[in-house]
Amino acid sequence: MDPLRIVIAGVGGQGTLLASRLIAEAAIKAGYPVKIGETYGMAQRGGPVMSHITIGEASSPQICPGDADVLLGFEEAESVRRGVTYLKRNGLALVNTRRMPPAEVVSGMVKYPNRDILIGLLSEVTNRIISFDATALAEEAGDPIATNMVMLGALCASGVLPFPEKVIINVLKWNLPQRYHSTNLKAFKLGQTAVQRQIDNNNR
Amino acid sequence: MSSLSITANDPGKIVLLMGNEAIARGAIEAGVSVAASYPGTPASEIGDTFSRIADKVRLYFEWSTNEKVAFEVAFGASMCGLRSIVSMKHVGLNVALDILNLASLRGVKGGLVIVSADDPSQHSSGQEQDNRWLAKMNCIPVLEPSTPQDAKELTAYAFELSEKVRLPVMVRTVTRLSHMRSDVSLGRINKSDKKAEFDWEGFSYRVAGFAKLFYREKELNEKLDLVREEFESLSFNMLKLNGDERLGIVGAGLSFNYVVDAVRRLGVENNVAYLKLSSSYPLPENLVGRLLETVDELLVVEEVDPFVELHVKGLAKDFNPSLKLYGRMNGCLPKEGELNQIIVGDAISNLLGVDIRRESRLVLEKKAREVLFERMLTLCAGCPHRATLYALKEAVREVKGDLKSVVVNGDIGCYGLGHAPPISFEDTYFCMGASIGVSQGMSQVGVDSIAFIGDGTFFHAGIPALINAVYNRHNIKVVVADNQVIAMTGFQPHPQSGRTAMGKPTKRIMIEDIAKACGVDHVEVVDPYSLGKAKEAFTRMLKTEGVAMVIARRICATEAVRSMRPNRPTPYVVDPDLCIGCRICMTTFGCPALTWIDDEKKAVIDKALCMGCGVCMQICPQEAIKGSKVS
Repeated sequence: MDPLRIVIAGVGGQGTLLASRLIAEAAIKAGYPVKIGETYGMAQRGGPVMSHITIGEASSPQICPGDADVLLGFEEAESVRRGVTYLKRNGLALVNTRRMPPAEVVSGMVKYPNRDILIGLLSEVTNRIISFDATALAEEAGDPIATNMVMLGALCASGVLPFPEKVIINVLKWNLPQRYHSTNLKAFKLGQTAVQRQIDNNNR
Repeated sequence: MSSLSITANDPGKIVLLMGNEAIARGAIEAGVSVAASYPGTPASEIGDTFSRIADKVRLYFEWSTNEKVAFEVAFGASMCGLRSIVSMKHVGLNVALDILNLASLRGVKGGLVIVSADDPSQHSSGQEQDNRWLAKMNCIPVLEPSTPQDAKELTAYAFELSEKVRLPVMVRTVTRLSHMRSDVSLGRINKSDKKAEFDWEGFSYRVAGFAKLFYREKELNEKLDLVREEFESLSFNMLKLNGDERLGIVGAGLSFNYVVDAVRRLGVENNVAYLKLSSSYPLPENLVGRLLETVDELLVVEEVDPFVELHVKGLAKDFNPSLKLYGRMNGCLPKEGELNQIIVGDAISNLLGVDIRRESRLVLEKKAREVLFERMLTLCAGCPHRATLYALKEAVREVKGDLKSVVVNGDIGCYGLGHAPPISFEDTYFCMGASIGVSQGMSQVGVDSIAFIGDGTFFHAGIPALINAVYNRHNIKVVVADNQVIAMTGFQPHPQSGRTAMGKPTKRIMIEDIAKACGVDHVEVVDPYSLGKAKEAFTRMLKTEGVAMVIARRICATEAVRSMRPNRPTPYVVDPDLCIGCRICMTTFGCPALTWIDDEKKAVIDKALCMGCGVCMQICPQEAIKGSKVS
């Protein structure tokens, strides 16, 4: 198969790294070679972070601009920042609409751009944008920190992964402490349902 | 998550490993006995991995006080015949340089492997220094892995080579490899049951005699010749050459991946010859020569300086004087910064005259940049350094009037972000410990300054500078921003933590005790979460003649929250009836947990981000922020 290339965009502290590792672990379980490239610089919390995941034959850890099949955006502005560069034409964008305003917005130096402008930019690359408030779903599951699990569920429901849902669920159970399982699985399911619903609506 | 994978003695098993984890695994497979390190991005996870699994695989690991000490610990074990490894970020090797040089000159006994994690493009460093020069300067062989699998294998091989020629061997990684993850096939773990025994004949002047051990330059050069010979047939070097190619490419270490992907993407697999180079020093001259004498043009692809390229330029004189050489020196590739598939692909397509069609997004990216913020780096929500800097700024304003009446010399750590708005109260930072040193030169020539240094950094390189200040009667003020962990690199412990890297309880060495023992004139410890008290302490410090120090002690907020999981701190709240929308909390303090509701013109605290420190409550002039203060 052609490699599947996924770019995860988010903010330090959102659990993007864990999400990319779970996807990669699942790919290995399903028998694929996999590479993850991380860009996080000096950010412990609050800085822009990005993971590149390539499932299939490839050598470089980084995905070429314009080559990503899927953008998994954990934060609205970060989704656009990375999407305009990395997402291939008519690639799939799964976008968490929850915003994490940076220090320069909080201190009033600049404004957070409005949604129409942001999504408009992304629309110049693709019309396959599925956006939803993943953090609200994580809160519904019991903890906003489970946003990454909502996004994983969303990715799974989008049907792009070359392995079935149960592979990733097993990896999730195997790798994460049991006390978080019920929240994580609930968040995963909520993400899955949210995306499934939008896909069904689009197909109607 | 990966600790199970890393310790599994299950040869052939495929697991997901980070480059740095693969290096640690390679050392374990080679039966390493002693590992030492000082944390620094992008090397930290090598030590973090050892720290997690040391007990389980029965090796000794420590976070040493600095890289020189770490090196010496490893060297000590090596002289007693055991395999040892020392890992650090590139600039850490500058600190260890003194002993590095002598370890290569005098030689080793047990395999001694140095891991240098370089940082092209300065993702988390002040410079992009290429440590292959330091290795060459000190006659240390360099292995450069391309993938996590190579990183594991080459680390294991480095121990063998080191023992064979009795030289330390460097495994040189770069950020993109250290932080890359991929499927790695595990090998067998070989447990060393060797008994430690000092090599008297190899290292003792008393036994072997001074003359035999002291002058060894000739022997060292002979060793390097042996290594070069071995590298000529090293299986990790791979030459693809049909004989009819016009263009050859040398790809060293990680950057070889860019060559492979670019060649595949351009569909020119049959038009180029290439060499995957995993041993960049000493260069296997005959192997490289075979490529040189066949092709008309050669592109050298490497991170980050033209290290191999320069050597190849010399070699071409013997092998192919009419060779056209391309790389970082002639501007075919950029002279600085890390490479990627696109840069390398463009260079290859130019050289071959192949047209590549790539959709340009430059216009769209420019449009996006115009509306998007940069998301500047900032101290975390609840960070005690923010409170420390805020209180210090208030004290300077009160005592000196003008904030520009002092130069704030920062140091290496999270608090380096103190220059960023809205706190904006840090001027310089250079290398570990430099804050205390440079402040003395400023004070000597009559310029007021404050040295602002973290706890880990103080132990690493601050102490000799502090003693110098007292000894040479420099009138300096030192703030130790003590958040009780080495936070920036991943919350590693240090000599004041009371526990070792392997989790054993140990003595706490207190910074105030050291300061007092050094003869510092005025030392006090405050909690920066109590802004008023902190400001008073800083005021006393500023008014003291002589060497004065305030230790602002409060655990890193992120570490505090990590250790209370799954519980969360109780967030503070803004009372909307009292908030007048003055934004003082945001424009003077700027905690990321504070946000602004534009419709209501009021501040609000993000309950997911709030660490419950209560400092903003002390800043709000309207007393609109409420909560239960943490103790």
